[in-house]
Amino acid sequence: MCVGLAAKVVGLKDGVALVDASGAKREVSAELIEDLLPGDYVMVHAGLVIAKIKMKETDEKK
Amino acid sequence: MENEVVTLAHGAGGKQTSELIKKVFAKHFSNPEFTADDAAVLSLGDGKIAMSTDGFIVSPFEFKGGNIGKLSICGTVNDLACMGAKPEYMTCAFVIEEGFPLAKLEEIADAMEKTAAKVGVKIVAGDTKVAGKGQVDKVFITTTGVGRIIPGVKTSGALAKPGDCVIVTGDIGRHGCTILLARENLGIDADVTSDCAPLWDAVKAMTDATHDIHVIRDATRGGVGTVLYEIAAESNVGVELDSANIPVEGAVSGVCGMLGLDPLYLANEGTMVVIAPESEKDRILDALHKTDHTKKAAVIGKITEEMPGKVVLTTKIGTKSMLPEPGGELLPRIC
Amino acid sequence: MKHYTIEEAKEIIKGYKGPHIRIMEVCGTHTHEIFKLGIRSLLPENIELISGPGCPVCVTPVGYIDEAVMLALEKNAVICTFGDLIRVPGTKMSLADARRQGGDIRMVYSPMDALELAKAEPEKEIVFLAVGFETTTPVICLSVKHAIRDGVKNYSILTANKTMPNAYMALKDSADAFLYPGHVNAITGEAVCREMLEKYGVSGVIAGFTPEELMDAIAVIIVGLESGKPFFENCYKRVVSEEGNVKAVETINEIMEPVDTEWRGLGIIPKSGLRLRDGFADYDARKRYALPNIKGVPNPACRCGDVLQGKCKPSDCKVFGKGCTPQHPVGACMVSDEGACSAYYQYGGTY
Repeated sequence: MCVGLAAKVVGLKDGVALVDASGAKREVSAELIEDLLPGDYVMVHAGLVIAKIKMKETDEKK
Repeated sequence: MENEVVTLAHGAGGKQTSELIKKVFAKHFSNPEFTADDAAVLSLGDGKIAMSTDGFIVSPFEFKGGNIGKLSICGTVNDLACMGAKPEYMTCAFVIEEGFPLAKLEEIADAMEKTAAKVGVKIVAGDTKVAGKGQVDKVFITTTGVGRIIPGVKTSGALAKPGDCVIVTGDIGRHGCTILLARENLGIDADVTSDCAPLWDAVKAMTDATHDIHVIRDATRGGVGTVLYEIAAESNVGVELDSANIPVEGAVSGVCGMLGLDPLYLANEGTMVVIAPESEKDRILDALHKTDHTKKAAVIGKITEEMPGKVVLTTKIGTKSMLPEPGGELLPRIC
Repeated sequence: MKHYTIEEAKEIIKGYKGPHIRIMEVCGTHTHEIFKLGIRSLLPENIELISGPGCPVCVTPVGYIDEAVMLALEKNAVICTFGDLIRVPGTKMSLADARRQGGDIRMVYSPMDALELAKAEPEKEIVFLAVGFETTTPVICLSVKHAIRDGVKNYSILTANKTMPNAYMALKDSADAFLYPGHVNAITGEAVCREMLEKYGVSGVIAGFTPEELMDAIAVIIVGLESGKPFFENCYKRVVSEEGNVKAVETINEIMEPVDTEWRGLGIIPKSGLRLRDGFADYDARKRYALPNIKGVPNPACRCGDVLQGKCKPSDCKVFGKGCTPQHPVGACMVSDEGACSAYYQYGGTY
């Protein structure tokens, strides 16, 4: 029901995150997530960061 | 020319029309056969010729990687090339909206000139109509081309045979993705450039390497998926694709991921599907890899006897899944 | 519980010898991925996958489309919508038809974009079609909050938001285990699923969306059902935490309140919908435009409701593949790529 997109946070300002999914970038709302930092991976749905993705060390390389 | 625009008078057929033609089109398309008469008189020699026509109404008319002028040459050149024909002569018909800036028209003509020169095709006749404001969307171009078929080459969508390999000449979906991002206000920023390019060089390189090629088709509107369904139906064969081998640029797959789209249905304007016997695979790939625009050519699957008329994908988990038949408007899927 | 690789999961699925089991994938994106990955071709006869009501487009009632069409054509509003909704048939027409008749229908990626449009074109009235489950509702609520904060007066939403817990209750006898919708749980956390287990003995796992995650989740369900004991497992810990996204839930509760709502094909499910709280009436398109109570009339031949409950397969419906195709859908399940009928039609019965 809800297409989610895993993306990397590459910028953050005033509750808005710039996320990058394999080179496609978009500004999305990050207001509902605490302690987000550039470099974090997040799950995005309809322009909102719904969750931070817990990365395993092995995931970081891809 | 800076602030000049196309007016209805430019399309009235009088002095202003000939001025426009002289100022913009003749300047760019000039060659010995270029005519002010009603038709160009051409010599094509012996053998078979191919002829094709195509209308272009792309919105926006300028996009990353080209404009409607370049597109209108590539589209017809590639249609001819897919039949194994060397494009020789072209004509073009413009429908221009009143108020269209002359400078932009000049840019379009310039792109047409450059693209035609690259291919070695001559633009020999044209037509200009001006439509009232709102009657057309800025500028529409129709091009027609004729070409000489290379003796010994015979391609058709009905000639795919079980056992043949399926090749795409480049990574897929870039034109469709570029236009989607430019047209819809989706707020997505992606470094994607249209693949819009003339492919005669690539066809020449392939046919120099082997004449044993069954199908060449440019995967324009509807994308590779649509073209493969057409070929499967025309040849009454099945197509089996290996999803892991289909070349897609990162940013294109990123955009598709965001919008729930499949790059197999996105348009290409410089990418072809080639189907040939397995024995010719390496020769064809070598030739493509040495040509501009087709350096990323890859084998993506094979033709089978099973499931005639269908396109099947081998999935990441080793199962088979049918590629949905294309149809209807491409709508981004969010929820 | 143990987790499985793709290869291990394939062996578990193919090797299942027990009694007939029914697994309901609630989420439309799961339905889509299951077809796309050809998972059905692995299933032995005694495992049945039922596509549940988790495609918001599929469960949106006919009358809702009629309301949106009325807003576009009679109230002159600019309709902003997710692309999925554009071809859904209403009683007389879809939004695509309304667009052909001159309605201003725009596709957006996010309700935030609809709000931006309202700011950019203050002379126009913008209505966002607010469909979706717990995953989509928070960003819709945020768009209303921002409209208030920024003093935007020409923005409103037409709510048809839905919530899952009571739908699980309504469907719990239709399946032996639920494949819970991972992105809904990203918001709501694990509590709802645990309650289903502890209070009602209903089994299920929260599943992710990659091939690895989906195969693992299905294998965990099969092994769990074989054990004979009700179970719950979170197979999507990468994204779903135990408590979920508390801020998102608070945002929903601040702006919206539960309401009885109609699910296309399933009828009214108590307290399974959301509407704007009274304080936000200015942003409620129904109130703003004083819409009449529209009761849509679905095509009587359509069996979307039975399909959604797993009572019949899409191919059992008389119009399936004949009058009803993705190009000319009769029911909503044929419209969305996520709809059970559409997936069934497009990927064929065999694969």
